[in-house]
Amino acid sequence: MSTDNNPAHNPEHLSRRDELEALLPFYLNGTLDGEDLAAVEDWLASDAQAMASLAEVEAEFSSTAAANQAIRPPADALSHFSRALDAEAGRARHTPSVLGRLWAGFMAIPATVAWAAATAAVVLVLVQAVMEPGGRGGPVEIAGTESANMPFVLVTFRPDARIADISAVLSGQNAVILSGPAAGGVYKIGIPAETAADYDRIVGLIAAQPFADTVMAGRKPANGG
Amino acid sequence: MVTMTAAPGQQSDRELVERVAGGDRAAVRLLFMRHHARIYRFVARQTGSEMMADDVANEVFLELWRQAPAFQGRSEVSTWLLGIARFKALSALRKRKEVEIDEEAAAAVPDTADTPEVAVMKEDKAAALRGMVNALPEEHRTVVDLAYYHSKSVSEIAEILSIPVATVKTRMFYARKKLGEALQAAGFERGWP
Repeated sequence: MSTDNNPAHNPEHLSRRDELEALLPFYLNGTLDGEDLAAVEDWLASDAQAMASLAEVEAEFSSTAAANQAIRPPADALSHFSRALDAEAGRARHTPSVLGRLWAGFMAIPATVAWAAATAAVVLVLVQAVMEPGGRGGPVEIAGTESANMPFVLVTFRPDARIADISAVLSGQNAVILSGPAAGGVYKIGIPAETAADYDRIVGLIAAQPFADTVMAGRKPANGG
Repeated sequence: MVTMTAAPGQQSDRELVERVAGGDRAAVRLLFMRHHARIYRFVARQTGSEMMADDVANEVFLELWRQAPAFQGRSEVSTWLLGIARFKALSALRKRKEVEIDEEAAAAVPDTADTPEVAVMKEDKAAALRGMVNALPEEHRTVVDLAYYHSKSVSEIAEILSIPVATVKTRMFYARKKLGEALQAAGFERGWP
């Protein structure tokens, strides 16, 4: 482990202003509380320079996320791990799969959301693939739904994403899941946009949803409109 | 990673770890699907090697399988896994006689982005900043990654890296200062410093 031997890196050498600058990233990621949170909020309310610093933190936030997401885990990571796990643990005992139970839970949800038929079918196929008991669920490709030139976006969902929420948003925009999950849990979602502006609007809508973890722009419409 | 769950049946990471402790392989696979990508990226940036990241990330989840009965839930599961990943990444580097993670390792981190110089030519501040984040010294970049990408708190980062809370703040301060100075040197406007 590396250590801070440089006297200039001694935390005691930080002024209060410097400490507030150091806390801004934690204000933005929502993990500040107590006195630190109050101090940052007071600073932001009283010092115009603080807002400029916050804007810089937002830029740093985006760039760091992009730098991390540029690293792509291997496509066969789960199967690789499963082999190692089986070697470690020996032959499988038959235990009820959490995915099977989650599937049962999903089926119990009242059908209060009016799913568009096409998107629902796609999502159901994905759910069946992902949630197949025994861990055999894997990447799927939805035959016949992908157009060679269809604009698309790459999306990963948060662990607590709900099928109903995803389906409602996608069907509302006539967007469809084309394939996935690829390495890193990435799904390819077809965007029915004629213009770049339409594409940006729909992708922006998806990115703003609580279920979206990461959203990476893919092929955009050729029309720059 | 998609874990499409209906709310009534949703299980938390901690509940899954309890199931892993009971020998449930499906639970450890689900945790793998939830957390692997972030662990893999964390190790890749620690070691500068995607091949090493593949092996170490697998080892992290095998360690989860082994150590689940000892998990006491004092921290988030993701924080616990990142701490294991940090330790195993450093161990793997030492085994390869690379001794210390240093700035050379940081420079070797795979990155498909433009170099800062190229990005500056494009007047693309975002791309330039991305390259500058990658070029930070490892101890600074790790704190930046954990705060910005892994959404960890000051105290969680202190736990993952086994350093004092005040040191986390100091490293974040100097990391942000270096980024500001690099941006200014490249001709971009910067609010601070």
